[in-house]
Amino acid sequence: MRRRSLLSILLSIFLIGECAGMLALLSISAAGQQVSKVVAFPLKAKSVRFAAFGDNGTGGQEQYDVAQQMVRQRVMFPFDFVLMLGDNIYGSDTAADFRRKFEDPYKPMLDAGVKFYASLGNHDNPNQRLYKPFNMDGKRYYSFRKENVEFFALDSTYMDPVQLAWVEKQLSASTAEWKICYFHHPLYSDGKFHGPDRDLRARLEPILTKAGVSVVLSGHEHFYERLKPQQGIYHFIIGNGGQLRYRDLKPSQDIAKGFDTDRGFALFEVAGDELYFQALSRTGEIMDSGMIQRAAAPKAP
Amino acid sequence: MNRCVPIAALCLPFIASIASAQGPPAANTGILKDFETRISAYMKLHRAAEADVAALRKTASAKEIASRQAELAESVRAHRPAKQGDIFTPEVAGEFRRLVAMTMKGPNAARVKKSLKSAEPVELSLKVNDTYPERAPLQSTPPTLLMNLPKLPPELEYRVVSRALILLDVKAGILVDFVPDLIK
Repeated sequence: MRRRSLLSILLSIFLIGECAGMLALLSISAAGQQVSKVVAFPLKAKSVRFAAFGDNGTGGQEQYDVAQQMVRQRVMFPFDFVLMLGDNIYGSDTAADFRRKFEDPYKPMLDAGVKFYASLGNHDNPNQRLYKPFNMDGKRYYSFRKENVEFFALDSTYMDPVQLAWVEKQLSASTAEWKICYFHHPLYSDGKFHGPDRDLRARLEPILTKAGVSVVLSGHEHFYERLKPQQGIYHFIIGNGGQLRYRDLKPSQDIAKGFDTDRGFALFEVAGDELYFQALSRTGEIMDSGMIQRAAAPKAP
Repeated sequence: MNRCVPIAALCLPFIASIASAQGPPAANTGILKDFETRISAYMKLHRAAEADVAALRKTASAKEIASRQAELAESVRAHRPAKQGDIFTPEVAGEFRRLVAMTMKGPNAARVKKSLKSAEPVELSLKVNDTYPERAPLQSTPPTLLMNLPKLPPELEYRVVSRALILLDVKAGILVDFVPDLIK
């Protein structure tokens, strides 16, 4: 973990060549000590670039800090859209609440044409689906495609048989190389307060694995956690977009990386068969980074 | 208001197919049929209430969504001076108790209970026709529980509030009916 200061950026040394298919960036601190290895974004033409966060809609200063950090990062990493992982508007949801908890903090991004694609959390009024800036098209669950990636926004607060059938049908019909699902309640989690939704996992995971879903993003837990692949799927929890449950992660063999001491968000770039990611704190520290190689599609018999 | 009648009539086959399409195999079909009839009647009323107010629609105005939801809730209340048990009659509630007990005591019971625990349980005082408090989270309903209950039209959802099962009108945001002390 390191502070992404101008000095450290200037002192960063790009390693020549590729290491296991990724561009590695070796960061050197001002004191000359190696502090971390960060996987940089390749910023390839026609790549799909987006940000993600959940549990953001508090209207508190920390949410604004995260939003401002996203704007700063967007100068270096011009992402086109943001996935919202639920709990978009906490508490009351009057027009003033939407302004304070969504429109104002993200105004610079909204003005720049960044689109927000929301999913519903347990603190959200289901009628948020009608709010045009959330791009839900009036639906509790929906999908959309960008280049070689199809995104599936699900409503994990009410996973009834109708939605399960829809997910299965849409996923199997998708021709996208990458299938990314996002919803509020995590299927896997090492949070002490909530933990995973085991019943949701039992019903949903077989559908996701069968359809070749690569990545699942969720919130609900107020921290960042990247888990080791579960049943071939990479799970990220990014529930610290405004809320924080301080030191709520418990030690676990399943954690690939965790961060539970500040708010933050994550950035992603899908470039061909590679998905690059960075998780950042609201102060701009890079808490996690890496690259996921897309698994080869199963060959037809 | 009259134009809603054909719409409600169109819904009837959908409602009627509910139990056969999804209901648990051991369900008491007679009692569930009564439940479906009551749901159909509610939906007819809901459509009539909708016809009396400006429609909820996709908009960039959060103010419009909030005000139209409130207007719809008022309209439903005006059309329906209801009390607890109008839909979950003692017989229907008994059948739901049996269906839920099957889930809560069956092979998936442990994970359903854990799922309920991880879903941020809420405590509320329940009253039919009240607006679901905007400050209270909506506890997620375990998928396995939903699989064992009769299917509902999209305007209605089963939700868990503490140990009660409630029927929520999602568009209007109001409590349609509930069965207390159902989740054990």
